[in-house]
Amino acid sequence: MARARKGRRFITTTVEVEGREEVKVVEMPAFDVAPWGDDAALTIVGQRAPRVDALEKTTGRARYTADIARPGMLHAVLVRAHAAAGVATVDASVARAMRGVLDVITADEVAGQLASGGAKLFERTIRYSGQPVAAVCAETLGAARAAAAAVRVSVAPAPFVVTYDASVAPGAPSVKGSGSNLALNSPLVESRGDIAAGLAKAQVTVSLTVRTPCALHSALEPHGAVAEWEGDRLVVWESTQGVFRVRANLAAAFRLPHTHVRVLCDFMGGGFGAKNAAGPHTYAAAFLARRLQLPVRCLVDREGEQLDTGNRPASLQRITLGARRDGRLTAIRCEAEIPLGVMGWEGGPAKIYHELYSCPNVHTTEAFALVNTSAMQAFRAPGHAEGAFGLERAMDLLARKLGMDPVALRVKNFAKKDEEKQRPWSGNGLLRCYEEGARRFGWSERRAALAGGDARAAVARDARVSRGASASLAREAVVDGRRVRRGIGVAAQCWGTGGGPPAYALVRLNADGTATVLTGTQDLGTGARTVFAQVAAEALGMTLAQVRCVIGDTERLPYTGNSWGSMTTPSVAPAVRMAAEDARAQLFEAAAEMLGVAPESLSASAGTIRSSATDQTMTYAAVAKKLGEVCIIGRGSRGPNVPKTGIFSFGAQFAEVEVDVDTGVVRVLRIVAAHDCGRVLNPTLAESQLEGGILQGLGYALFEERVLDASLGLPLNPSLHDYKVPTMVDAPVIEAFCVGGADATANHVGARGLAEPPIIPTAPAIANAVADALGAEPLEIPLTPWRMLGLAPR
Amino acid sequence: MHLHVNGRAREVHAPGHASLLTVLREQLALTGTKEGCGHGECGACTVLVDGRPEYACLTLVGAVDDAKITTIEGLGSPAAPHPLQIAFAALDATQCGFCTPGQVVSAAALLAQNANPSEAEIREAMVGNLCRCGTYPKIIAAILAVARGEYGALPEGAR
Repeated sequence: MARARKGRRFITTTVEVEGREEVKVVEMPAFDVAPWGDDAALTIVGQRAPRVDALEKTTGRARYTADIARPGMLHAVLVRAHAAAGVATVDASVARAMRGVLDVITADEVAGQLASGGAKLFERTIRYSGQPVAAVCAETLGAARAAAAAVRVSVAPAPFVVTYDASVAPGAPSVKGSGSNLALNSPLVESRGDIAAGLAKAQVTVSLTVRTPCALHSALEPHGAVAEWEGDRLVVWESTQGVFRVRANLAAAFRLPHTHVRVLCDFMGGGFGAKNAAGPHTYAAAFLARRLQLPVRCLVDREGEQLDTGNRPASLQRITLGARRDGRLTAIRCEAEIPLGVMGWEGGPAKIYHELYSCPNVHTTEAFALVNTSAMQAFRAPGHAEGAFGLERAMDLLARKLGMDPVALRVKNFAKKDEEKQRPWSGNGLLRCYEEGARRFGWSERRAALAGGDARAAVARDARVSRGASASLAREAVVDGRRVRRGIGVAAQCWGTGGGPPAYALVRLNADGTATVLTGTQDLGTGARTVFAQVAAEALGMTLAQVRCVIGDTERLPYTGNSWGSMTTPSVAPAVRMAAEDARAQLFEAAAEMLGVAPESLSASAGTIRSSATDQTMTYAAVAKKLGEVCIIGRGSRGPNVPKTGIFSFGAQFAEVEVDVDTGVVRVLRIVAAHDCGRVLNPTLAESQLEGGILQGLGYALFEERVLDASLGLPLNPSLHDYKVPTMVDAPVIEAFCVGGADATANHVGARGLAEPPIIPTAPAIANAVADALGAEPLEIPLTPWRMLGLAPR
Repeated sequence: MHLHVNGRAREVHAPGHASLLTVLREQLALTGTKEGCGHGECGACTVLVDGRPEYACLTLVGAVDDAKITTIEGLGSPAAPHPLQIAFAALDATQCGFCTPGQVVSAAALLAQNANPSEAEIREAMVGNLCRCGTYPKIIAAILAVARGEYGALPEGAR
């Protein structure tokens, strides 16, 4: 039961997002909420409820930004320059004269119109291919597209760099126009212990250099916005991971108070990190809507989406591991080079080298170079997906050199605490992930069989072989006429997923006994809307059907942060629970008055309140009816995290592959994924997240790469035809599950984040399996056929 | 121009070379059919044309004025959903949901042709519908469950 908190209302605390720390003043919750531990008797949280909005999605009724139509709405299309660097001249005379065209805006029209520090829209100086230079606005989408195609953009070319080496070479052209191309205080050095001493102590070392590609988010719904002015107030529908951040962006750009900007996002079609702020399409829509005094919709087309809405930058990692003969790591070193794009932030590969394993001596450097390609944006576990490929490939090589089982090597180097920050974990189920994952995969049996043991006997012994496993475990086989070699691999993962303040929720009890959860978050397809309804229903003692969760509106809903850093669930769920507990406590006081009992004697489940004193019952509906329009509103806020504690999610994935030795095609047969994210609020949704991350990781491993023509500085594959994301044919059998229990240290709901972790270990697990299959070391992804055919045997 | 959409005759004003997708979305407010690429790469705009799955973005409206067009809205509604729509919802074969209408329509076309597809046949038939969230395993499970009759009888043919 709730009790009022004593002490200071606001405190200063450290909030972590994707490895970055910010010191913030945050509000302490008004009352304490007892944690839901493993022994909590929960009946809705933890259950496999279908998404509350599933039927809207499967019947096509869910409305996304592109589906918003306003009376009199016009259509805007961005025009881009296709040159890496230079000065653009835009000739829109033909476009302006075309039928249905109302306006064309270029750098000339927007100059000085948007606040500096807010938005930059349409500069004449071109710094990367795909940079927007104009927007055409017309009566219909078709007219706008036709006119956009008629805008002539010529670029007087300037020297450019698109590779790391070219960017840092002496005399390289400056990407910013002046100054060094090295960015973000490069090189960023992070160190613990003494790396030289650690290497000197090593009895076995491995050194390798790996490369990872530039990958594109490729959400199926491109970025888009609909803007409408109501007098001097701006309303924007945006496909975004952060309605409040978009509001701040627009308020700054148009010099408006927050009272005069409303941002809405009910359904959105995937983000993966690329939709964390307003973009040129947003500013163009709002700008044109103001000029023309009509609503304007501006959608990014697929080519624009692949060219200019973000990417996971490529990386090169030079790695050395040192270990004693028993497998204990003595040294981890990584030097990374990252061609960042025209701008970006410090989401490099180094962090996981410090976090995942116990090792006294770790030294990493990251050098970020600006290049004339579009800006990076966080992409699902930015840095860790790249870093895990390097680190986990290196661990695989080390295991082989030591003659150790790769799982045993990882277990041997398990980090009992967060050694980077010298603090305990709030919880860490990684050892259980190794154990349970290996067991379900049949790791030991498969390993023995592939090493030349009796394959059939191994299969027979492995009573729990899951669907999709090879029927035979011979190293070489002929499958449907193809000569294949088989292999298995493992990789592990960690990722900070604590979430934190500020995040707020309200729970409003309605006059018919139903409840509405109000929280200004967004559901990227994760199921946030569903799990918050579950949490509220659980805390209220109501059924899930009695609760509706309303999200995505900066004007009518309380603040929550962006849906990034796997932090929506651990940040917002505690606020939702607290709001529901507050509402329930208030309703119990009303019910106690009606029943003539003490509020402390009341409990509720499935919408019925019961007094333990008198055994009387009363439904929520009956209490609410008696109350009439008396409004009960519960308020919840997210308190700070426990200090000096590492709140991370962990996981291990096991991959089984076949490589066609004649064509080089890699086929992933099966992935077994064991993850620990604390309490699972809805196992079905958790599985979906795991499967989704694994499939994106599979794309990263096998197919995905933005291809640049280095001589022209142009991306060559800005389409879903040429940039290959996995299809249904590529999907392996996936057995994904969570092993953890409630993490009551992390927050009082017991859940950590799960969205980003599953992409992290997939690519190295697959590459390690390919290494096992071929007896060669793939050091560069994607594992394309020509790369596989070119691998030299070990 | 007249179109037959979801069992109704509809009057639209569009040049014959307009895409069926644009006409459905912008003129008939049938926004369940999504545009993910506009170039026949992603499958989010899949509709049934005389029962065949077609990319609406690559279909000229003038070429289908005598055909029966069925969109995701024509397959069913939240009040009266198609068995595939129930199964996709029940088995979580949707995450962000943007590709889902196209996936459901492609699945309906498959089951109309082949009432009992194997898993391999499902993968082949659905390969033109991309899902970036990674719902493929659950889509396969949903289609198999509908084929087994677990979510009710399929309606006779496409409307």
